[in-house]
Amino acid sequence: MKKSIFLKLFVLLLGVALAAGFSTVAAAKDIIRIGGIMDTTGGTSDVGKDYAIGMSDAFKYINDNGGVNGKKIKYTWFDYGYRIPEAITKYKMLKRMGSVIIMGWGTGDTEALSPTVNKDKIPYVSASYSAHLTDPKKTPYNLFFSSDYSTNARSAITAWFDKKWKNHPDFGKRKPRFACCYMFASPYCSAPIKAIKDQARLLGFEIGEDQDVSLFALDTKSQIMALKSFKPDVLWHGNTTMSVAATIRDAYALGLGADWIVDNWGFDENLPRLAGEAAEGVMGATPCAFFGQNVKNMDIVVSSAETYSPGVPLGKRLNRTVQAWGDALITWEALKRADRKGVDVTRKDAGEAIMKQGFETLRNFDIGLGAAPISFTPTDHRPATGCRIQIWKGGKFHVVEDVDLKKRWPELWKTKWLGW
Amino acid sequence: MSSVWLPCGDYHQNYAADQGWWQTRFIKGKMILLLLTVFVGIPLFAGEYWVSVGTMVGYTAMGALGVQLLIGYSGLLTLGHAAFIAVGAYTSTMLILQFPWPHALMDSGLAYPISIIVAGIAAGLWSVLFGLPSVKVKGFYLILTTMAAQFITVDFILTQYISQIGGRGQAFSLPPGTIRIGPWVIDNERSVYYLMAVLLTLMVIVLANLLRSKPGRAWVAIRDNDIAAEALGINIVWYKLLAFFVAGFMAGIAGAFWVCNTAALSPEHFQWFLSLWLVGVILIGGVGSIQGAIFGSIFMVVVMELLQMAAIPLADYWPSLLMDFAYIKDMAFGLAICAFLIYEPNGLAYRWWQAKNYFNLWPFSY
Repeated sequence: MKKSIFLKLFVLLLGVALAAGFSTVAAAKDIIRIGGIMDTTGGTSDVGKDYAIGMSDAFKYINDNGGVNGKKIKYTWFDYGYRIPEAITKYKMLKRMGSVIIMGWGTGDTEALSPTVNKDKIPYVSASYSAHLTDPKKTPYNLFFSSDYSTNARSAITAWFDKKWKNHPDFGKRKPRFACCYMFASPYCSAPIKAIKDQARLLGFEIGEDQDVSLFALDTKSQIMALKSFKPDVLWHGNTTMSVAATIRDAYALGLGADWIVDNWGFDENLPRLAGEAAEGVMGATPCAFFGQNVKNMDIVVSSAETYSPGVPLGKRLNRTVQAWGDALITWEALKRADRKGVDVTRKDAGEAIMKQGFETLRNFDIGLGAAPISFTPTDHRPATGCRIQIWKGGKFHVVEDVDLKKRWPELWKTKWLGW
Repeated sequence: MSSVWLPCGDYHQNYAADQGWWQTRFIKGKMILLLLTVFVGIPLFAGEYWVSVGTMVGYTAMGALGVQLLIGYSGLLTLGHAAFIAVGAYTSTMLILQFPWPHALMDSGLAYPISIIVAGIAAGLWSVLFGLPSVKVKGFYLILTTMAAQFITVDFILTQYISQIGGRGQAFSLPPGTIRIGPWVIDNERSVYYLMAVLLTLMVIVLANLLRSKPGRAWVAIRDNDIAAEALGINIVWYKLLAFFVAGFMAGIAGAFWVCNTAALSPEHFQWFLSLWLVGVILIGGVGSIQGAIFGSIFMVVVMELLQMAAIPLADYWPSLLMDFAYIKDMAFGLAICAFLIYEPNGLAYRWWQAKNYFNLWPFSY
């Protein structure tokens, strides 16, 4: 009897799931379907959750403010738990649902999906800012609003060299010593390493051994001890906030004495909360403003967070929300431009036209939010030419320098640095 | 093949007849219908999405067959199978991208098929290396040694060394058109599906044949009682290592196949969870049954996809559902394993066997 009830219940549930599954793609007119692949439970969920909420807020705001020239956006997103095979099935499902654009997340899955995205001609706007996604010859459908990781890394080490090393007592007497901490296995963490070492050589640094720090690291004392013999002056950390905090805390406790420069996903409002005193003086790449900073369009981001996600206190929102808005705003603008030029943006095969008539028409487009003006051309998908570097000091973030790599090294920027 | 139905009583005169695949016309008809469904029905009539789901089922089944051979047939517990899949994937990719193939071989599209076979052999040998402790240890201790395979292979060797070859982002992204077998370019959902179907069918045939031959009987004997098996004259070291080789070989083929589905590779594709997932697949499908590996794969992939689809319309009323879905999915995975272990420890394959018997004996199925 018990078994029969379980069996009936299972069959009923399966039936409901089947019915729901096959009804998912029921098309509605004048609806623009946009998909999302986010990480709210996996290895990068410490930053991914806020990004996912921010993206959802942004599309709700867009719909409440006229949509795309009157057409509404249906935004459907999934958590893939930072598991790449999972991302691939999610992508295929979103494609089946008729998504014209997909908002992606991590570097591993974005790069893994890149050949498929190229074939399917679906613009893929990711939270991965890997420079490997910026050469349209290789990845014509990958986009993001931010300066890429390599630009962030080059800018961060340049800013440290300009503002810190030049005031160091050993300046001019010896080479500054530099090493990298990151998770070797993570494509996100390893993406800018070649570029930052290239920049370090360009600026005349001595480069030490890399240290492997997991994204889940809670204890990094062995890596800090290994660094101690090298006596680094500055260290790059390429992970996300949680493991960055663990590392700089250990370095502080063990008296390593080096400065830290951090990639954008490891540098947010949570860093000083998690690292405490150890966060003092940490510099990081900030391709957009922190949540609530006084910059253009931030009022929209903050009021939307209040309106659409009242369950998450404003005090707990991060710059990840702002980053999500950055990607959503360029998507909105591209769709509006493509729509005005007569592209039927509701059709699932509109990706190529949206790319040509939308994204690739953006020239120095200002989204506010403390981000650099954004440009995409058919030959160059690097959205920005430099990055703002900030420092955590005295309980606040302060601007250290706005580094513009294109202005400083125009020839290298143009001929050498695209795509890595 | 004397009749449509197997007559009452046991008329088999020898082992070969007893183990024959085509015992009746009805069975032959069923198998032909199954092959027609797999090779014609699904690719022609299912949408692109469902074809891709079919591909994921096949990939999972390819991995699970090796786990089934080790755990289900040989009693060798493993929790490191993702490592051998990774070895296959990396061997195939490295061969395609880095090996100086003669132009004639490249032009004739033989690089990928050769790389599949080499990937199988490399993964098989690598698996044997980690199978060596099985000579001395078993059970819980063997689980730990196979887990070492995961950490040494994926987290250390592949991540620290192999992934660095050729430069970050360059070496492991396969340009379009690279993966082809002769003139057949594998570059869309259906071609990937067909390759999966061919490879999976071959793997099932090979494994089923092995299981009804001397090695298969030796594996089952070792699983049931290794001391008794040794007393009967079975060289248990040889057969245990052979089981690891065959399981690794199949994992290598699965890995080489995975490359054509993604055209890109990183160590993150082969995390430890995949090894655990494959054990879950055979627990749900049925331990000690080839069908079990396939049923388990269908259950774990298709049911999870359906759950996800059901979540989409529900998310309008329960917005955090999508955010929490990965948790819900992992919970469903755990619950499914618990439920099967408690209510149906023999797995879906046993249910299938019961259903088959019911209809075979109908209307006298008592």
